[in-house]
Amino acid sequence: MPTELQHGPQSGAAIAVRDLHVAYGGTRVLHGVSLDFTPGSFTALLGSSGCGKTTLLRSLSGFVPVESGSIIVGGKDVASLPPEKRGMAMVFQSYALWPHMTVLQNIGYGLKLRGATKAEIAAKVAAMLEFLGLAGYENRKVTALSGGQRQRVALGRALAIDPGILLLDEPLSNLDAKIRMTMRHEIRAIQQRLGLTAVHVTHDREEAMTMADRLVIMQAGRIAQVGTPEEVYDRPATAFVANFMGAENVLPLRVERSEQGARLSAGEATASLANGVSSALPSGEAVAYFRDDVARLDASDATSTGDLIVPGLIAARAYPGGVYRYRVEAAGRQITVDDANRHELGTKIGLRIPLQRLHIFPASEAGTIAA
Amino acid sequence: MLSQRQLALILIAPGLLLVAALFLYPLGFSLISAFTKPDGSLTLDWFAKAYELYSTDIVFTVVIVLASCGLTALAAIVIAGTLTLGENPWIVGTLKALYRWPLFIPFIVAAQCMRTFLAKNGLMNNTFVSLGLMEPLSAVSYLDWRGIIATFVWKQTPFVALLLAGALASIDRATLEAGRNLGASRVRVLVELALPQVMPTLLVALVLSFVTMLSVLSVPMMVAGSQPTMLTVDMAFRINSYGDYATANALGVITYLISAGAAILYLKRGLSKEAAP
Repeated sequence: MPTELQHGPQSGAAIAVRDLHVAYGGTRVLHGVSLDFTPGSFTALLGSSGCGKTTLLRSLSGFVPVESGSIIVGGKDVASLPPEKRGMAMVFQSYALWPHMTVLQNIGYGLKLRGATKAEIAAKVAAMLEFLGLAGYENRKVTALSGGQRQRVALGRALAIDPGILLLDEPLSNLDAKIRMTMRHEIRAIQQRLGLTAVHVTHDREEAMTMADRLVIMQAGRIAQVGTPEEVYDRPATAFVANFMGAENVLPLRVERSEQGARLSAGEATASLANGVSSALPSGEAVAYFRDDVARLDASDATSTGDLIVPGLIAARAYPGGVYRYRVEAAGRQITVDDANRHELGTKIGLRIPLQRLHIFPASEAGTIAA
Repeated sequence: MLSQRQLALILIAPGLLLVAALFLYPLGFSLISAFTKPDGSLTLDWFAKAYELYSTDIVFTVVIVLASCGLTALAAIVIAGTLTLGENPWIVGTLKALYRWPLFIPFIVAAQCMRTFLAKNGLMNNTFVSLGLMEPLSAVSYLDWRGIIATFVWKQTPFVALLLAGALASIDRATLEAGRNLGASRVRVLVELALPQVMPTLLVALVLSFVTMLSVLSVPMMVAGSQPTMLTVDMAFRINSYGDYATANALGVITYLISAGAAILYLKRGLSKEAAP
């Protein structure tokens, strides 16, 4: 993709969201969200369906009326302004191109609204198309373009007005897998080159992690955790975040604290943690979350060496490529484990779980995951 | 044993017979009668007579119907646009509840209502006078071409607005939001982004309204005076007063050609759009 764009360098705008409450017909969707977006940052709003991530984006863009709270852009509260007065450009999931217009007319519309002359529009659109790798497409009908090309045109239409803020509402969901990968990198590269403040809504964890430099995990209209992809992935703040970020294996534990450290037990299996590591652990009934690649299959009588060895039985095996994926019945739970070696079904094994890689939360908190 | 084909023919025969007896036969008969003398020879005399007597009314009819279509389109766009892009729930709700009512009121009742509303001392002028907006002496009657147009627009707007609002509701809402997001006002979004996407529906609704207005007898008869008037009134007059079916049929053929003209304009537009790359 050519890197030259004829207009000058842009800089993103800062957004400060304060105590935002939004309701649809009496149902509260956002319960007091506060969030800062620094200029030039790429933030992904991530969460399951109905968590309020799209509502937050649409209240930023002005399509959802705000009940209370403020959205401050450039020192000014825009929460009560109509969408056309906010100066944020949005890219939609359905592309939302105007089928009765050509590529030139679609991309040039925002410029036309700003009173640009025909020559200015043509020059800027040509530069934008060059930038997006669609040079010479001016007079094509948008209905004759492929999905990836349409999304590029939609992106060009949003970027043509030199916005400080780019809002992305699941822009890659309608694309097929291969083009989606390419577009992830393209959008990220464009955002960095132009220094835009980008807010991206997605339910795709990998997409959020690869594109954004900050993740906002939302749960039932509230922010569950804000952090870099590494922070959210490795140090989830709540059981919900751990589970949402892929730690789907659940193991009930009992934590007993002593002066030396903590003793963790799952049924018969026990292991100890030294004081320094265990200080953050809850005491009493707890639940541990861990990913498929954390545990290993070992002999049922293997020595602990600090890990938790939970006896189990291999119930199912699949080969997704590279490693075998097993379903193991252990401690009364079904646990998914990736292992390089092939084992037969029905084999009694010891599930070796390194304690450091468990995300442990009090049992009382684990019940909130379904919300 | 009957074949599928014969069975199908038997099944549709009653309907076909009804259409033939009640529609095709009278239509064919009228067409022939418009072009033949009593002795059976072909002639254009009836058309010459129709033109000589009613050329003003032909122009009057076309102008009235075109003006009504234009105003209907405007009113329907305002209503459907408000229903689609309106943000005040009270206005949208009230409009939604009210705008369809005229659909259920027959033309003749609408015409009667307009008589009491638009007359010199009718409801409208009386209201203006009582509000002090008008001197009683300067009140004029609107029961002429303006009354016909008002009635047609009042009666046809809900129909066009209904189809238009349906079409507007079915377009991708994100295309409208994209416009506002880039800085377009709601009026611009309606005119530049929404309407072009539903133009075919608007045209169909207007062509149907055009043909409907062309065939209404009660409104011009009740609302307006006798001269000039619409072709339906002239046809009724030729038949009722003179038993002159031939000239009435010639006027019928002219009416048919006018409505065919509207249909051709619509089809042509549709075809040129499909042919475009």
